[in-house]
Amino acid sequence: MSVTTDILTVDRLRAYYQMNYFGIEREVRAVEDVTMRVKANEVYGIAGESSSGKTSLIKVLAAAIRPPLRVLEGSVTYRFNGNPLDITRAAEEEIEAVRWRHLSYIMQGSMSVLNPVRRIGRIFEDFAFRPMGLKRDAFRAAVEAHLARLHLEPGVMNSYPHELSGGMRQRVTIALATVCRPEFIIADEPTTALDVVVQKDVLAMIREVQQALGSSVVFVTHDMAVHASIADRLAIVYAGRIVEEAPTRTIFTAARHPYTRHLVASLPRIGDTSPKPSLEGRPPSLAEPPPGCRFHPRCPIAIERCRKEVPILEEWPGEHRVACFRAHEAIPAGEILHLKRGSLQ
Amino acid sequence: MSTYLVFALKRFLQFLAVVFTGVSASFFIAHLSPISPVETIIGRVSGQSAFSPEAVESLRQTLTELFGLNVPLHEQYFNFLRRFLVGDLGPSLLAFPTPAMKLVGLALPWTVGLLTLSTILTWLVGNILGGLAGYYQNSRLLKAFGIVAIGVQPIPYYIVAFLMVIIFGFLWPVLPVSGGFAMNVRPSWSPEFVGSILLHGILPAASLVIVGLGTWFLGMRALVSNIVTEDYVTYAELAGVRRERIVSSYVIRNAMVPQLTALAMSLGGIFSGTIITEQVFSYPGLGTLLVRAVNAGDSAVVLAVSCVAVIAVATAILLIDLIHPLLDPRIRVE
Repeated sequence: MSVTTDILTVDRLRAYYQMNYFGIEREVRAVEDVTMRVKANEVYGIAGESSSGKTSLIKVLAAAIRPPLRVLEGSVTYRFNGNPLDITRAAEEEIEAVRWRHLSYIMQGSMSVLNPVRRIGRIFEDFAFRPMGLKRDAFRAAVEAHLARLHLEPGVMNSYPHELSGGMRQRVTIALATVCRPEFIIADEPTTALDVVVQKDVLAMIREVQQALGSSVVFVTHDMAVHASIADRLAIVYAGRIVEEAPTRTIFTAARHPYTRHLVASLPRIGDTSPKPSLEGRPPSLAEPPPGCRFHPRCPIAIERCRKEVPILEEWPGEHRVACFRAHEAIPAGEILHLKRGSLQ
Repeated sequence: MSTYLVFALKRFLQFLAVVFTGVSASFFIAHLSPISPVETIIGRVSGQSAFSPEAVESLRQTLTELFGLNVPLHEQYFNFLRRFLVGDLGPSLLAFPTPAMKLVGLALPWTVGLLTLSTILTWLVGNILGGLAGYYQNSRLLKAFGIVAIGVQPIPYYIVAFLMVIIFGFLWPVLPVSGGFAMNVRPSWSPEFVGSILLHGILPAASLVIVGLGTWFLGMRALVSNIVTEDYVTYAELAGVRRERIVSSYVIRNAMVPQLTALAMSLGGIFSGTIITEQVFSYPGLGTLLVRAVNAGDSAVVLAVSCVAVIAVATAILLIDLIHPLLDPRIRVE
């Protein structure tokens, strides 16, 4: 893949929460040295457990950087219509100009993202009327056509959010995020609150819209099963860093990082009745991350070097990147998945 | 819209029930008073010249019949209800043959004018400023206003009223501190008279506004600083929706609903607040009339003022309740 098809380039991004309580400085290192690219027309999955910093990462990607979150280093460059725009340095007006028209966002929790006292039609006007730049009648027709694509009747325009079911509301938010035909869509756990049946429909819908518009989607969830069904490429985030990134199939079949291997091994498979090993310990506090590799306190194959040095994200063949000193060694699954108690700190 | 009409009708029936209960309670409380209007009048009349005991007795009988006190209490109550429906609450004691309702009618416009103006002004300005302060949390001007509001808000009405009198009546005498209008102006619709009314209204209104403003400002600021963290606000900001639109239709609009409820609940308190304010400024409203009537044992006027107050507050709350479903679509009106 040549560089020109990249729609988003994130380079050595560091973003911390910096707080000051009565003179006591506190720092939460939520995003640490993240480098990634998202190509045109692909679904890029970001997986990680709660408090791994994935929400902070997409806050930066969505240009929603508010204190105490601050970008300390690095760049986040979008390339819409060939014009590079680094949102960590751009003026507010430049960012406002790309919002919704080029860069849109599907937020977590469809129950609460719609203004409860405003009709759906008015919300569409607020969000999309200016970016689309159509006359009122044409705008209404375009919105109705787009709603029909997501199997919603034009009647929902006159409804209040509380009058719709959870699934309909999620479809409305997807319609809202895609009505301007944006090139880049950030989806933050869009299916988490839904039951599996609705989840399946919503995933299919996001896929459908993405393919129809040719947009790129950054899809964030902790649910590996969802990633398996939607993502083209997948990044695994642990404690604010990307530890592994590869095409989805590679992650599920040939992962190199012990954390990823653990994550994949914990997924249930049909016919497999063996007990699933769980990883000991808890993810580290991002306020005081451990030195060296941030995974080493829980890593079953950690060596002395892991405690001191930070492994860089190394390129592997087949669009594969891994951040582990022992990725080159052929370590059998048994050694990684069966933890010896007391062998770790 | 027909469900709304059903709701409005039900709410109106509730209103009638509230008025009935309130008015009945006022009647019984007024009759618990140890001051007998008949004896008070006799005392006043016989104190001026000597009367024969027979004359006093016949006067007592006439007055007892006139006030309708010659029948048992429950019959008095039904008579009262019947007369209440046609707006007749008997003669005042203070200004004897004048009907109590006429005195109330004279005082009512002053209080209603003062209250409506100051309440609406306070509520609107307090909520808008509080809303802006909650949204633009870094604005120095609004922060300073918040500090002043915290300082002023717990001061009781009457202290503020006295401060106003001291400052603008004595230290820097620029505004009239008593009465509803200047003595030398004839009541009419002339600009001179209206101007005089407005000038006399400034201080009483200001003392109500200053205290109320802080309360609404602080309440609204707290509400809004919660609402700005709601997902729908963050989402609208991420979508690049215009700031003015977010502040008005997303933030303040959502905070209006609980603030309207709070307004309905505070109306009774505001009414009692004006009684004191009117007293301080000798304002010719219901409050002044009520205090004079209580001091003179004029139970007819006390009852009339209470009834009118019950109706006025209940009506205001009814109106607010009728607006409520129009403001928040989630309120079911079935």
